[in-house]
Amino acid sequence: MMTGSDALLLGLVVLGGAVVVLLIALAVLLLRLREAGARLRDKEGEQQGVLDQLLENENRLRAIIESEPECVKLQAADGTVLEINPAGLRLVDAERPEDIIGKPIYSVVANEYQEIYRDNMRRVFAGEAVVYEFKSVTLKGRTCWMETHAVPLRDARGAIHALLGITRDITEHKWAEEQGRRHQTELARVARLSTMGEMATGLAHELNQPLAAIANYARGCIRRLRAGDIDGAALIEPLEEVCEQAERAGEILRHVRDFVRKSEPRMTAVDLNQVVRGVVKFTELEARQHETVVTLQLAPGQPRVWADSIMVEQVICNLVRNAVEAMAETHSLRREIVIRTLPHGEDMVEVEVVDTGPGIDGAVIDQVFDQFFTTKQEGVGMGLSISRSIVESHGGRIRAESRAGGGATFRFTLQRIPTLLRRDERRHSFHS
Amino acid sequence: MSDATVFIVDDDQAVARSLRWLIETVRLQVETFASAQDFLDGYDPSKPGCLVLDVRMPGMSGLELQERLAARRSYHVPIIFITGHGDVQMAVRAVQAGAFDFVEKPFNDQDLLDRIQRAIAHDAGQRGREEQRSQLRALFAALTPREREVLDLVVEGLSNKAVANALGLSAKTVEVHRAKVMEKMHARSISDLVKLAMQNQAA
Repeated sequence: MMTGSDALLLGLVVLGGAVVVLLIALAVLLLRLREAGARLRDKEGEQQGVLDQLLENENRLRAIIESEPECVKLQAADGTVLEINPAGLRLVDAERPEDIIGKPIYSVVANEYQEIYRDNMRRVFAGEAVVYEFKSVTLKGRTCWMETHAVPLRDARGAIHALLGITRDITEHKWAEEQGRRHQTELARVARLSTMGEMATGLAHELNQPLAAIANYARGCIRRLRAGDIDGAALIEPLEEVCEQAERAGEILRHVRDFVRKSEPRMTAVDLNQVVRGVVKFTELEARQHETVVTLQLAPGQPRVWADSIMVEQVICNLVRNAVEAMAETHSLRREIVIRTLPHGEDMVEVEVVDTGPGIDGAVIDQVFDQFFTTKQEGVGMGLSISRSIVESHGGRIRAESRAGGGATFRFTLQRIPTLLRRDERRHSFHS
Repeated sequence: MSDATVFIVDDDQAVARSLRWLIETVRLQVETFASAQDFLDGYDPSKPGCLVLDVRMPGMSGLELQERLAARRSYHVPIIFITGHGDVQMAVRAVQAGAFDFVEKPFNDQDLLDRIQRAIAHDAGQRGREEQRSQLRALFAALTPREREVLDLVVEGLSNKAVANALGLSAKTVEVHRAKVMEKMHARSISDLVKLAMQNQAA
């Protein structure tokens, strides 16, 4: 049994023990706190060091980028310019950074390159590194050619948050390239002309001979008759010569016709879509120069036709060039060409070339395929006439239409080579 | 002028025959040749007239024939070239090389005949001068070396006495030579003699 004093003592001991425990606990806590505080202080210092380092690095990078002679810029996914260096400002003719920073980059991309530019942006934000060329119209309206190397810029977690682009002005290079190409075209034209010229000269010389003989005989007859010193019988021989020489001239012309006939179309099985793509390739430059967008809507599969591919190329080329020129000459606002290949009846394929130009005057629409008919200032009116004879020699037809809302449509048909298709393919072909 | 001959060289026989038919209306002789070589082989340089020559011919061309004739270094008839369409450069070359004229096919008959007549007149003039020159050469050739010496000094304006001194002869002898020279040269005066000597120098 515990006495009252015992209980008091015990109580005191217990109490004292509890205080000690408490004190110890407090001390431990304090110690831990101090430790933590010290550790915290250490960490702050460390962070500050890292921050300082980062700042230094950034400043160094910034200095390099600022003095970089080529345009360096950061863009957001929607095309907003986030940052751009002074070279970039100069490239787009911006006087102050705020003229372009925070604005969409598309404001300095030429209309016909907007789509191409957007495509490339999409590819970069999908993780690709790309190089692309485009035409730019600067803030002051200056047109120039640019080449951009663009890579995705990722944050710490690896998410792409911006596009880093390095762009340079390639206008001069582009100009030289175009000069070269134009020179090539010119050479080809001159070569063709000189071949034609040579043929014409040869033909002229050939025909001159019998014509000169005929003229000499005839003049000789007239002179003798005028002088009255010849009887009719003496004229028979020279007149027979005249006939002979006229026949000789006819023979020469027959040779020419045979020669021309020899260059008849060389027919093979041709993938019409491929021909169209080929034409687009070599009219691309012209179309771009005239700020014209060419869109293809090709029949699925490979619509094959029996044709001379060079000649068909020539027809499509003619139609595309005409469209480009018609739109350029009349300063159409929207310049667009759509080339379609589509089925036409059971056994034909149709090629359609649609433009957004001024269309064709209803009064002359029936004459556009006539020889020497032209609305162009420097045209000779042979293009469509030749096109028609090519199409017709292939067993097809060519037509011109002018749409109510402006724009012309030229379409021609070619005979399709029937292909053995499986049932399901047949259902899909040409109808998707 | 009707003794003049028009020589035609053209590989195209129909053209050559038709030219003959035309040219004979102005009463000129015509000889045709089917090639440049035929002409070189068969042509008589003593016949007056002119040559109507086609620029383009297989084998020897008209221009080559012209060169060959020039290389002979003897007088030949004037040449009228006939050129085809677009051969003007060739024609210019021919004229620079001494051709008389050229006509471009197709030509006007009167134009060709006029040119032929002019060429024939030119030929007659040349032949006349050539005749004079050869007569002159014959006159001078008839003089003895001594007579030639006397003549040369006399036309320089020297007196008989000065000539005698220069040649170491007596004045009497010079007098005799001089009379002989006048006779041989058919000269009536010193001025005639001077004229002949100058013509001879020019020839």
